[in-house]
Amino acid sequence: MSSLFKENDLWGPLDPSAEAGYGEDRPKRKGFFTDTSICIGCKACEVACKEWNDVPADHFDMLGSSYDNSHSLNANQWRHVAFIEQPSSRGRATVDLGMPDVGPPGSGDGAGAYGAAASEDPDASPMDFRWLMSSDVCKHCTHAGCLDVCPTGALIRTEFGTVVVQDDVCNGCGYCVPACPYGVIERRKEPEGAKNVGIAQKCTLCYDRLDAGKVPACAQACPTQSIQFGDVEELRERANQRVERLHEAGVMDARLYGNDPDDGVGGTGAFFLLLDEPEVYGFPPDPVVPTRDLPHMFRQASRAAVTLAVGAAVVFLGRRR
Amino acid sequence: MPDFEKGKAPSYVPPEDADGVAGIAGNDPFIMQGDGKGALYVPQGLIDGPMPTHYEPVESPFSNPLYGQQANPTRKEYDRDDNPMHPSPPQGHSEVFPFVFTTSRLTEHHTAGGMSRFVHRLAELQPEMFVEVSPELAHERGLEHGGWATIVTSRSAIEARVLVTERLTPLRVDGRVVHQVWLPYHWGEGGLVTGDSANDLFGITLDPNVLIQESKVGTCDVRPGRRPTGPELRALVAGYVDRSGSDHVPHGPIVTADPEGGGR
Repeated sequence: MSSLFKENDLWGPLDPSAEAGYGEDRPKRKGFFTDTSICIGCKACEVACKEWNDVPADHFDMLGSSYDNSHSLNANQWRHVAFIEQPSSRGRATVDLGMPDVGPPGSGDGAGAYGAAASEDPDASPMDFRWLMSSDVCKHCTHAGCLDVCPTGALIRTEFGTVVVQDDVCNGCGYCVPACPYGVIERRKEPEGAKNVGIAQKCTLCYDRLDAGKVPACAQACPTQSIQFGDVEELRERANQRVERLHEAGVMDARLYGNDPDDGVGGTGAFFLLLDEPEVYGFPPDPVVPTRDLPHMFRQASRAAVTLAVGAAVVFLGRRR
Repeated sequence: MPDFEKGKAPSYVPPEDADGVAGIAGNDPFIMQGDGKGALYVPQGLIDGPMPTHYEPVESPFSNPLYGQQANPTRKEYDRDDNPMHPSPPQGHSEVFPFVFTTSRLTEHHTAGGMSRFVHRLAELQPEMFVEVSPELAHERGLEHGGWATIVTSRSAIEARVLVTERLTPLRVDGRVVHQVWLPYHWGEGGLVTGDSANDLFGITLDPNVLIQESKVGTCDVRPGRRPTGPELRALVAGYVDRSGSDHVPHGPIVTADPEGGGR
């Protein structure tokens, strides 16, 4: 059956801004490479984003999830820093600080926090306590579920390859909300009287700053360059080299997330370097754009319709006079 | 203040009549001293010099392992009824305040929070006063993660939300286990987010040289639940003062070492 869609419109590798109809003179695709191994959890990205985009305060409650009181991305949180405390695999033992000595570390009479492990099994590499920090953002997917299902065309693909909500077009229907595999986009509910209440809101990759030749607010504010902004192609190169260097240094857990054009959303404009499984950070392990299954769904529905029509025809035509 | 020129070689020897920066030799890089030389002994300025040593904080659960002199003998104290200090070894009753608490900062707020608590972008990042406890202490004292705890000293009692975290570990010191808790000190009255102030727990003892108060570490008790208010709060604190003997003025001897005893 010939497809209504061009190749890779819904699935597989694609240059999204070319597919959206921008000409040869369009800029290179822009995105973020967020290297969570150097994030210090300062939340400058959260504040810079909210200041630039005039996003209202979300809520004033302590959530108890380590130092993360923002909880997750939503209409009032376009950048979200996650804090994950991972217990040591060594188990919990009281720390014997021991008495100070003048020799090299471990020569004192106390076992010390690290001395104890070394004496038990020098071959095992126990995992120390880890405090993972990561700044989450809209992924600006190559195949963006939110954009594909939007009935009004409010969600558009920009010339930079990013996904942006036009807040004057959005009618607040909310179709985009369940379509996002990452749970990023939502409709703004509060506070009353704020701008764009009822409208779907999410990261714009600072479209207005890109137009002016500037860098997005979060990338500008990040003091460690954990959030790196640039051409997606070049960022992917840089990310691959970074993972290689981390592996050489023995950090075998380091991996990239969202950089593969063959994944369920065609790769993302904003991708990450993680130090553990995606689920640890609250990411879906295998995100798939819901519209991937669109041709199949229509085929099934067509078959059902044809079957119904044939059945009706048989009933009526076989009627005795 | 003299500086050290970037290109000056370590072998540089100043000529006889040199002055200013040119008079500093190439191997005298201690820019905080007038002559560029580092020193262990100083001719003046230190009341408790000249060599650094180890003293326990004024409020400590343990005896000083190095000396019979528990804490800094030259420290400045204020012997007042409203400034009771907790007993430390060798005095008795230090088990009334068995835990150590320390205060420091969060990234999101600035010092005592007088400005940052009024800025909504910062206030929403860290909205509530909390105390970090280890899972072992939480189990021992019946503290629930996300619940409330009351931290008590002989000066006051404050309440804070409980954050149970494995980043805090019980310590084994001098053959026994001591728990420590951590408090940020950014909260107080006023602002978009308010809470009890950690600094209410401290008394005043000062370092003899520059009179900086020891307001970062002390001993305390931790109880589950919110603190009482009004006269009941004062009664709670008074009970602790009574049981610990903190109300004895002066609060324990400053010099604890036996001068004839030769060290311990």
